[in-house]
Amino acid sequence: MSRRTWLRATGRAAVPIGAVALVFVVWGVLVRVLDVPRYVVPSPAATLNTLREDWPRLWGLTLTTTKECVIGFVVGAAVGFFLAVAMAQIRTIQRIAYPILIASQAIPIVAIAAPLVLVLGFGLAPKIVIVALIVFFPVVVNTLDGLNSVDRDLLNLARVMDGRALRVFLNIRLPATFTPLFSALKIGATYTVTGAVLGEWTATAGRGLGNYLLEQNARLNTAAVYGAVLLLTAIGIAGFLLISALERLATPWRTRSTARRVVRLRRRDTEGER
Amino acid sequence: MSADPSEGKLVIDGVRHAFDSTPALGTTSLSVRDGEFVSIVGPSGCGKSTLFNIVSGLLVPTEGRVLIEGRDVTGSTGHVGYMLQKDLLVPWRTVEGNIVMGAALTKGVGDADRAEARELADRYGLGEFIDHFPHALSGGMRQRVALMRTLAFHRDVMLLDEPFGALDSQTRFSMQQWLLDVWADLGRTIVFVTHDVDEAIFLAGRVLVMSPRPGRIAATIPVAIARPRSLESLTTPEFVRAKREILGLLYAGGPGTARPREATAP
Ligand SMILES: Nc1ncnc2c1ncn2[C@@H]1O[C@H](COP(=O)(O)OP(=O)(O)OP(=O)(O)O)[C@@H](O)[C@H]1O
Ligand SMILES: [Mg+2]
Repeated sequence: MSRRTWLRATGRAAVPIGAVALVFVVWGVLVRVLDVPRYVVPSPAATLNTLREDWPRLWGLTLTTTKECVIGFVVGAAVGFFLAVAMAQIRTIQRIAYPILIASQAIPIVAIAAPLVLVLGFGLAPKIVIVALIVFFPVVVNTLDGLNSVDRDLLNLARVMDGRALRVFLNIRLPATFTPLFSALKIGATYTVTGAVLGEWTATAGRGLGNYLLEQNARLNTAAVYGAVLLLTAIGIAGFLLISALERLATPWRTRSTARRVVRLRRRDTEGER
Repeated sequence: MSADPSEGKLVIDGVRHAFDSTPALGTTSLSVRDGEFVSIVGPSGCGKSTLFNIVSGLLVPTEGRVLIEGRDVTGSTGHVGYMLQKDLLVPWRTVEGNIVMGAALTKGVGDADRAEARELADRYGLGEFIDHFPHALSGGMRQRVALMRTLAFHRDVMLLDEPFGALDSQTRFSMQQWLLDVWADLGRTIVFVTHDVDEAIFLAGRVLVMSPRPGRIAATIPVAIARPRSLESLTTPEFVRAKREILGLLYAGGPGTARPREATAP
């Protein structure tokens, strides 16, 4: 990396980091100026201090919650994506699945969390299901939108060229889903944390950040509650950034004017040759 | 009216089309010789795109047949190259990827296809842009890529539906000259739809004028201007004569029935 690109990259990172720092400063100033008692809103320093003291325990809890988020996210996104593809290909599936889909979103997640625990137990499973339920809906809707967004004339052109169904799907319809799919994934990534915490609150026996949060709240240890919130937020932001990075890799045509040659040396479409 | 199926590379034999009960294309017969360049002009909505959709096999005509080299290909696809007014480049494929689209959708892209795409791009001035995505190209470049994609599909007969309709007049003229070069190089048979009478005459060996909807071929105007053609061709007496004749036919029905320059998607 040249000096200039390095400087540019740091410059780009500096703005969001600065913004986060600003939030902390404003928070600190407000707490001090308004003289808010520590058990109502702790200062940033007190919060970070609790985080440091409780870190050995918090680290494990963060891992557990992250795991719930990641697995639930992957399951929800995969189910949503494949369901959308199946719905777009086969009319009957679309007719059957659509009302169920809408119904699944109309059910308040909070309300089904408890019965889910009865069915799935207190382990990882109910949390994954709740996270997946939240992630999967935007994925289905956006993937369907992408599949249906393909210009009819482009599909006609593919027909004129005697395109084979599978190849037309892989080369034309599938890539059209990428942009809306990643929008859905970014929304989903930030929602996963809410799902995981909800799951942990219902299945009280678990050992995640959500449980810690409840426990500390009961003890009026507000600084610890805020610490847990910071960690949960960090998980959501990390997920969002990861998806954004993947998006840049998966859709180079949106951010770059040329494709990199190196990446294209061994492309998969070479294999289908007769 | 019916064309002799034995003559001509592309024969349109008594083709007529109606959408449900709305007539879109009147009975049309036409025979195009191997290596010929024919232009079609006609008022908006007279059925030019419908005719192309029938020839390309996208639409099955209500009546009539389409023959290529004497073979009945009515309603079957894959026999002609077809370029629509929209360039229809796929945004996620590079210039090369778009040129080899025909192969990608059928047998799969081989090294030979890629090499050919590169050669086409080199020969026709897009060599440096081979790895560019379409959004980084100008309108004229995009149309050239779309035409290369049609060329790389390797069909002798090519249907071009207002390919330069969206370009400014300067770019348009250089694209026309470029198209004539390509045609002279590769000797394909081209049927070219346009709303621009000058363009129709400049490119073609004959211009077919269609009547308003449901259109039929009202007249055939031969264009006896020597090739290769250049800027001077636009001011020859032959050009002016052909233009006067075509405009007369287009506006014969009075104003409002014919709008020669209006560009509408099919
Ligand atoms: N899919 C369709 N369903 C019903 N009517 C159609 C359809 N496609 C075209 N038409 C009608 O058929 C007629 C001919 O349409 P077509 O697109 O062939 O005209 P065109 O000569 O290409 O016009 P333009 O020069 O504006 O592109 C029009 O009146 C149009 O409204
Ligand atoms: Mg048209």
